[in-house]
Amino acid sequence: MSALISLFLKFSAFSLLAFGGINALLPVLYDLSVNQEHWIDTQTFSDYFAIAQAAPGPNLMTVTLIGWNVGGVLGAAIATLAISWPSSIMIYFLQRTIMGMQDKDRQQAIQFAAGALAVGLVLSSAWQISLQINHSVAAYLLTISTITITFFTRWHPLYLIAIGAILGVLGFI
Amino acid sequence: MSGFGGVLPWARRTLVEQEQWITAEEFSAMLGICQIVPGPNIVNLGVCVGSRFAGIPGAIAAVLGLMLGPVALLLVLAVLYEHYSYMPIVQGMLRGVSAVGVGLIASTGFKMMRAELKYPLMLLVILMVIVAASYFHLGLGWVVLIASPLAIFLAWKKAKRS
Repeated sequence: MSALISLFLKFSAFSLLAFGGINALLPVLYDLSVNQEHWIDTQTFSDYFAIAQAAPGPNLMTVTLIGWNVGGVLGAAIATLAISWPSSIMIYFLQRTIMGMQDKDRQQAIQFAAGALAVGLVLSSAWQISLQINHSVAAYLLTISTITITFFTRWHPLYLIAIGAILGVLGFI
Repeated sequence: MSGFGGVLPWARRTLVEQEQWITAEEFSAMLGICQIVPGPNIVNLGVCVGSRFAGIPGAIAAVLGLMLGPVALLLVLAVLYEHYSYMPIVQGMLRGVSAVGVGLIASTGFKMMRAELKYPLMLLVILMVIVAASYFHLGLGWVVLIASPLAIFLAWKKAKRS
């Protein structure tokens, strides 16, 4: 029970810091669930990340899976709720304030500032997570190829995920 | 449920093009705000769209509607994972998928960075965040706290200029 309470409190606190969404939050999730609380090990984290990426639905699914590991279906529900409620309440009030702002400069400044923070957090998240989940040169090559392909083509991400899965099944990664 | 590779493109198609509940401009404005506020973007968007039609109950209904299907499917996958994760073929597949997944996150970051190139000074903020988070391994709260003053200062100048 205490694990579920701790899960709820910690995920709730992160919700308000996650500029750039859950993608920006992944290293914190890793640190919390693997290093601090020992809910899961690195391998399981990396597998949960893969499942959440491949499954249809919002990218907060890694959080749901960690909750599931801690406390089954109840844990999954608590984790998902915890990561969502503080920011939901905040956006509920903020959207009116920001959209109704008379001073357009100020409105833009808020968007620019938050945007820059989000870019930094998402990029450092990708960097830190790749160090945890990629264990071979082939895996890094696959990550870099993914970045390159998304830059030069308009392929749907699902094709790339399928290619990654096939390469993995064939034993290349 | 059809949100493979993220729900946003699908949300836009349903809300704007098929049901015409909101206009394209409204959708972009809402999305802009939902992406700057911390928290899961899609949940934020659900709250914005839902509350516009039916206040707090609408917001709750929208978020539950977005979440229930994918979460149910995800838990099925989690059970399958418990049973089959010992198989080398499954492990290999997950390694491949996670390597691609991290690449997709990085490219989202780079694509977002393109918009910042119009005002290159802002790259300082991005650099500051990356160094604080990845090199000094500061907690998320500290990173946001340290980078915010410069971010707000530069954002104000950028807004004044445009």
